[in-house]
Amino acid sequence: MADQQEVRRLLELASEMRKKLLYLCGHYDGPIHIGGDLSMTELLIGLFHHGLNIDPKNIMMPTRDRFILSKGHGAVGMYIAMALRGFFDYEEIVRTYGQLDSAFGMHTCKVQLPGVECSSGSLGQGLAIAVGMAFSARQKGLNHRVFCLMGDGETCEGEIWEAANTASSYGLGNLIGIVDRNKQFMWTHDGENMTLEPYGDRWKSFGWKVLEIDGHNLDEIIDTLDNLPPISNDKPTMILAHTIKGKGVSFMEHAISWHAGALNKEDMAKAMDDIKTAWEKERSAW
Amino acid sequence: MGTLTFTLNAFLSVRSVVGDTLHELGMKHDNVWGLTADTGGSLKAFKQDCRERYIDVGIAEQNLVGIAAGLALEGNIPYIMGMIPFMTMRAYEQIRTAVCYHNLPVRFIGTGGGLTSGGGSTHNAMEDINIMKSIVNMSVVSIADPNMVRDILIESMTYKGPLYIRLTQGKKDRVLYEPSDKQEYEIGRGLLVRSGRDATIFAHGEMVFEGIIAAEELAKDGINVQVVDMYSIKPLDTDLLFQAIKDTGKILVLEDHLMMGGLASSIADAITDSGIYPKKFKRLGIPQVYAGFGSGPELRTKYGYDSGAAVAAIKEMLN
Repeated sequence: MADQQEVRRLLELASEMRKKLLYLCGHYDGPIHIGGDLSMTELLIGLFHHGLNIDPKNIMMPTRDRFILSKGHGAVGMYIAMALRGFFDYEEIVRTYGQLDSAFGMHTCKVQLPGVECSSGSLGQGLAIAVGMAFSARQKGLNHRVFCLMGDGETCEGEIWEAANTASSYGLGNLIGIVDRNKQFMWTHDGENMTLEPYGDRWKSFGWKVLEIDGHNLDEIIDTLDNLPPISNDKPTMILAHTIKGKGVSFMEHAISWHAGALNKEDMAKAMDDIKTAWEKERSAW
Repeated sequence: MGTLTFTLNAFLSVRSVVGDTLHELGMKHDNVWGLTADTGGSLKAFKQDCRERYIDVGIAEQNLVGIAAGLALEGNIPYIMGMIPFMTMRAYEQIRTAVCYHNLPVRFIGTGGGLTSGGGSTHNAMEDINIMKSIVNMSVVSIADPNMVRDILIESMTYKGPLYIRLTQGKKDRVLYEPSDKQEYEIGRGLLVRSGRDATIFAHGEMVFEGIIAAEELAKDGINVQVVDMYSIKPLDTDLLFQAIKDTGKILVLEDHLMMGGLASSIADAITDSGIYPKKFKRLGIPQVYAGFGSGPELRTKYGYDSGAAVAAIKEMLN
């Protein structure tokens, strides 16, 4: 069991991140990929505020852990988690998001935004890039890890499984895959047309060590990140995080229509109310 | 020059030149990686002596290009060896988005350019120059001369951004130019192989030799054509192009690539954009067909872009 003070610190950050996401979703005149941002909120907070060895004052620190967001449409979720850590200015994100010449937009862009390891947006490409980074770290004798957060939907792409095969064949123990297993693709739920099940077994059969966790439980997330296998082990690790798309906002949870969207005033008030109520309930239990 | 010996007009396997040169570069530089999707014959020596920087991912080109991008993001220079259609087309989006968007120094070395692979229509490489040159940040060269390949590989250690090196079959390649220890060739330049005043033949790869044969044949009839090895297709040596237009007025482009989209199209673009027009312009290359089986020379004859076809085209131009 993780340190409860740390869990509470991260719970508060997760609640703050949800509010900041929703505010942007109401403010910006266009769609925000809010469903998948909300499903990986705890994962991003757990990583950027606890698990990753990173320094916002020294973003290119050679020994830093590398983090690749393969589900590039979740860019703004990552930006807000990073803003809360001091990498970026949230106000600037809100002011410039999606505007001409802004570095902040729908998909991750390293070219315009130092501090991001890799551009993404075309799904299924992140894991292979992470594998390349893991090879490089091992060859240079560096002790950092390479993390790659994927959406479950993008693991329909063949390149993911090509990369998974390479990672286990070469025993890349410094590679940590994480799947935001929210069981929704863009237009369907898992099982309607395509299914990824038996999902954990698929990763296991590709030679990965698989850890299944509740992706909204920060206690479990911290515990998992604190107790990762040593990088000297000969298997890559997959953290299969079971999540809910749209988590925390009653009318967004499991809703296909909230893969991406904009919030009107009324919905925004309702969404904020959901977050506030959940937070008060959480606090009263402390 | 290591263990390599280049003798004028002798045949040498470009693949072994690539293998030897990459081995040499790998021994000297700790950031050179050799990557392959199960076609790594030329990388044997590299694999033996730079084991930690050799990756064979099996037949999985998209993944291979992604891994190369990850390596390059960490300051490495990955050299990918592969058969052109699969390296370029199967992994096209990865090349564009993972490598070129980041402007990373990944080197793509493709074998079997044009109709030289012997594998039939699945393995023929006739669209590659077109699709690779259209990607922002990508540079494209096409080479058959073994010594030139070596020069370009050495230059590639310091060249900025992604680079595609198109080779022919790469098993038996003629040393066309006087070998030298000096760096003679560079990306962005062309090479005037033979001077003449009546017309200019532009070619790349093995087709340069077809151009030389055509020029020799035409000389018998008192026709003097010059031959330019336009090995750098992007960036294009427009100084050399415009000089040739000025000096000879007539242009023939000869290439082992679809007539549409290759060097001929790049030259036509440059001409149109500059307003420096030749009196006559013709292109010979692969028409809109899936060419099927046969050797490179046989297919060139069948589809009308061998030295004989070049001779006829020049004569028609001069009429």
